[in-house]
Amino acid sequence: MSNRIKEIFGAVLGALYGGLGMLQIVSAVTDLALPFVPASFFGGFALLVIGAVLLTGARNLAQGLDEGVVFVNVGILLSVAFGAVTLLAAGAGALEAAIAGEAWSVADALAPAVYLAVIGAAGLLAWCRAFFRGLVAA
Amino acid sequence: MTGIRIALTGNPNVGKTTLFNALTGSRQHVGNWPGVTVEKKTGRIDWNGHAIEVIDLPGTYSLTAYSADEVVARDYIIEEKPDVVVQVVDATNLERNLYLTTQLAELGVPVVIALNMADAAEAGGCAIDRERLSALLAIPVVRTVGTRGEGLDDLLDAAIREVETSPHHEHTVGYGNDAEVMIASIVDVFSADKDLTKRYPLRWLAVRLLEGDENALDKIRDSPAHTGVQALLSGIDPDEYEVAMADRRYEMIAAVLPQVRTAGAGGMNVSEMVDRVVTDRYLGIPIFLALMWGAFELTFAVAAPFVVLIEAGLAWLSATIAGSIEPAWLASLVGDGIIGGVGAVLVFVPNIFILFLILSFLEDTGYLARAAFIMDRLMYAIGLPGKAFIPMLIGFGCNVPGIMAARSIEGEKDRLITILVNPFISCSARLPVYILFAGAFFGAGAGGIVFLLYILGIAAAIGSAKLFRHTILPGESSPFIMEMPPYRLPTVWTSLLHTWSRGAMYVRKAGTIILVGALVVWCLASLPFGVEYGSSASLAGALGHLLEPLVAPLGFDWKVAVALLFGFVAKEVVVGSLGVLYGTGEGGDALSTALLADPGLSAATALALMVFVLLYTPCLATIATIRKETGSWRWAGFSVAYGLVLAWLLALIVGHIAPFFLGGA
Repeated sequence: MSNRIKEIFGAVLGALYGGLGMLQIVSAVTDLALPFVPASFFGGFALLVIGAVLLTGARNLAQGLDEGVVFVNVGILLSVAFGAVTLLAAGAGALEAAIAGEAWSVADALAPAVYLAVIGAAGLLAWCRAFFRGLVAA
Repeated sequence: MTGIRIALTGNPNVGKTTLFNALTGSRQHVGNWPGVTVEKKTGRIDWNGHAIEVIDLPGTYSLTAYSADEVVARDYIIEEKPDVVVQVVDATNLERNLYLTTQLAELGVPVVIALNMADAAEAGGCAIDRERLSALLAIPVVRTVGTRGEGLDDLLDAAIREVETSPHHEHTVGYGNDAEVMIASIVDVFSADKDLTKRYPLRWLAVRLLEGDENALDKIRDSPAHTGVQALLSGIDPDEYEVAMADRRYEMIAAVLPQVRTAGAGGMNVSEMVDRVVTDRYLGIPIFLALMWGAFELTFAVAAPFVVLIEAGLAWLSATIAGSIEPAWLASLVGDGIIGGVGAVLVFVPNIFILFLILSFLEDTGYLARAAFIMDRLMYAIGLPGKAFIPMLIGFGCNVPGIMAARSIEGEKDRLITILVNPFISCSARLPVYILFAGAFFGAGAGGIVFLLYILGIAAAIGSAKLFRHTILPGESSPFIMEMPPYRLPTVWTSLLHTWSRGAMYVRKAGTIILVGALVVWCLASLPFGVEYGSSASLAGALGHLLEPLVAPLGFDWKVAVALLFGFVAKEVVVGSLGVLYGTGEGGDALSTALLADPGLSAATALALMVFVLLYTPCLATIATIRKETGSWRWAGFSVAYGLVLAWLLALIVGHIAPFFLGGA
């Protein structure tokens, strides 16, 4: 598999994480309200970190360093892990609302960590096994 | 039935305690990092007509002991003379583990090797010829997988056989002509001392002395041979001998390994791949911070529905009791005192269990060992070894084992600093206070506030360590060498067991210390007779008003002063006391509502209070442990005084600065 595809994947997903992470932070420190981008300083920070890992991978690959694959792989793992955490938290929120008889909608669960993790999960399904196998045999 | 003592020894983090638990049915804490066991543990098992006592010793890389826990391991083997020593060897890292084997063999004690984590080695494509290894070392080698209890029967049988086939054999490494001449000369001097001859293998003792082992020198201080040996040692450079002898041992290992091991394919495995990123020079710390934030966010969110259910249960219980108990004082005792006090703490049981579950997962996977590694540069910059971060991480659960874990720190001053700063690490007892106040005053941002408090605790510990290093405990720290354990996927059972063992302690405290604290506060709030419950005319009010001037500059009133005073016993009592003083027995979330309705409390005051609770005097159990570990009340007293001053100053600053960030809240 060409490293070029991994490089583009890392760059695009990394940029999305970085951009949406910044928006979450800006929303938290200002009164800016954006749909599906909840205000959260630390949530935004976590997205920035994932973005940085993916972009580091993309940069290394662009420079011809195969080690970039490692960063893209781990970036994808972090993406899926944080997506799962956010989804779990949203599920607990739904349960709490049900117990307390309060309103809850699916839109409440739609945060960047969740919908970006879908792209991460697609990368995991499509590539990660091959990434790991390639590395172990390297 | 004959009695046999088996000592389990080995390098740190090779699975000794897991094997110990599997052999004896114990539930000692295990963790995927080095240094979890700092003192010996004993368990018993009956096996084929033998009453076997198993002793789990702290991990050690060699018999040249440097740290307090290594001395425990070494001295037990040498002084207590167990019938057989089982060396637990990590099959994935044979070379380093066999170094200790060469030293054990020199002791002449019966040794059995438990080739542990054999499954992990095999999964990595590594094959070990156990029979060949056994033949070359003249030591029985048994394949074990501690986590699955594999090979335990064979291990016990081999240990018994080794005991019964005594006299055993002594195996030596040839150290070269110069060293051997010196060893022979020292042994010759020793042979005049019959007592010494009986107590220690003389060749082993001579080797230790040539390597400059201070502990070994202490063992011969009262011997008539002491002067003669000193004369022999005066002309040599022990460092030179130590290096040369280590080289010889590794040469022997290097000769053995190719004959017994077929290595797997090279290249980077998954553990190494993840490590490359999570220990990255620039990304390591941000990843650590992001994961910690995720942990606290999850703790809050997932616990919330369970908290709602417990609150509803307590409200029902309180209403039922209030309507059916006479006289009124008894209803108040049960409702305001017991349910208000203990219930206020029990409400947070889900948060505690979920946090422990997450921390257990991070610990068992091996990630927390990486956290210590990435903090090394920062720790070294402040004059502490990175190893000192491990007791801090343990302190997240409870400061008592965190302080005890400082035994693995080699330098005395390093160890003392590590002990003194550990109480600033936010233990689980503070969590109910954070959850109560952050939940009440910061709503959706509560998880972030709690995360910041944990970071502040680490920052306070690191800042204080730097201060101590440059003032009262000057010196240089030793470089940090830490072995990275491989990542492991914890089993559900292991994670649940860890979570339960830690979480159950919290529940037990609710039924003991916190119950007593709540009853004492209820009495103070109800007396003298006829006074309005919890009013400023009560004894609690009088006590609170006495203390109020001390905390008034921080924005705290007399009720908070009383709660903080009782929090000295255990930090959870702060929440229990507030529950009693606010008389909120009628509903679990009533305390949050009461705090929000108190005109004396604001978001800024709440933040200052959380900072104060984070940093002020350690709880009684922690103070007692500091006294025990430092051997001095002076250091325990210093810890209390320093914590109070730091807490007061930082709470004052936070209380005055926070309104600017919180919009004058």
